[in-house]
Amino acid sequence: MEKRALILDGDLDDGTMTRGAGEVASDALRRGGWQVTGLPLREIEIAPCLGCFGCWMKTPGVCVIDDAGRDVARRMVQSDLLVYLTPLTFGGFSSELKKAIDRSIPNLSPFFRLVRGEVHHARRYARYPRLVGIAVSADGKADPDEEELFDTLVRRNAINLHAPAHATCVVGTVDDDEVRRRRIEWALAEANGP
Amino acid sequence: MSDGSERVLLLVGSPKGPEKGSSARLGRWIVDGLEERGWTSEAIHLHAAVRTGEGRQGLLESIDRANLVLFAAPLYVDSLPAPAIRAMEQIAEHRRAGDTRRVPRFVSILNCGFVEPSQNETCQRILQWFADRARFEWVTGVSLGGGGRIPRRVRRAFDLLVEALDLEILVPDEVQRLTRKPLMPGWLYVLGGNVMWKRWADKNGVKDRLRAQPYRRSGS
Repeated sequence: MEKRALILDGDLDDGTMTRGAGEVASDALRRGGWQVTGLPLREIEIAPCLGCFGCWMKTPGVCVIDDAGRDVARRMVQSDLLVYLTPLTFGGFSSELKKAIDRSIPNLSPFFRLVRGEVHHARRYARYPRLVGIAVSADGKADPDEEELFDTLVRRNAINLHAPAHATCVVGTVDDDEVRRRRIEWALAEANGP
Repeated sequence: MSDGSERVLLLVGSPKGPEKGSSARLGRWIVDGLEERGWTSEAIHLHAAVRTGEGRQGLLESIDRANLVLFAAPLYVDSLPAPAIRAMEQIAEHRRAGDTRRVPRFVSILNCGFVEPSQNETCQRILQWFADRARFEWVTGVSLGGGGRIPRRVRRAFDLLVEALDLEILVPDEVQRLTRKPLMPGWLYVLGGNVMWKRWADKNGVKDRLRAQPYRRSGS
């Protein structure tokens, strides 16, 4: 079966901030034999999640909003590797990336279960993608605490979204190409990507 | 007690709006307490504010008028709902570019659908970074689980928080102690929650389809 990677690009404006990091990730994955799809989310109309639980209680597994958010959620769960590409935003995800993540909860079951003593939603599907978070810091170099927060957020997402493995890296807009490439390739390899 | 010049701005980051839902209810509780002490208040629904240029402008002007920003939101996948993050991006940009001699105080109240209030902690840290970038004075973040219910001990915590905010004194540790504890053991929440989901689905006639896999990849 082909290996599918989905890159969700959460850049806010014209894509210049994440473009370089996205190209490095794409190239590395393609060299490793992955079929790569990149979605520039700023160009895709996705309505905000309504928090209505309709995707669990009315149309199980499908969001009640009939827009591109459904297609993105489908692509997410059908991929083997999911890459969150985002401007580092207060240590977390940009609003553009988050609009897609919010609409992916139909891919979970409403039922609760305990994971290491903590309540989470059970899985709807047998398999979920591995998760890599790549953040680009506008400040050039991220504060170590903010970097650690980004890692924690992706790790928490990996628990909630049933990712079998995860890794993160933060690159600065002023990093030279080689440093950026090494960091991104390390994160992809850490999550057993290429 | 305020002489009426103190102004609290309630930012509601839930899709359910400024009146309905747990976030609005929790935020209103604090706002009502401050109003009783002479404060004036304003509430903005972030989902609506970020939809139009006019809404955005109104949000930024309200921020500039506030002495205290009270941010009430639900936890969405370990973070905030996307429109709330959009508003934060706009606020931080505005504050970086503008006159920031006025530094409003900032309090967050997060609620999640899991029983453990601690599941909000990653998001509280995101809000602390936001407060820093937007040049607000971080006061405290209150985390609630169980869908934002307000049992007696949480009401007590809110009363203490209101008093501290009004008097501009340190928020007592008691506030965190009273809100940090889950409402019930995890296993009981799982049991009760799963019964609730089944009943709800039954009422909607979809109980048999609850485990549907519409996006299952062929061959998996």
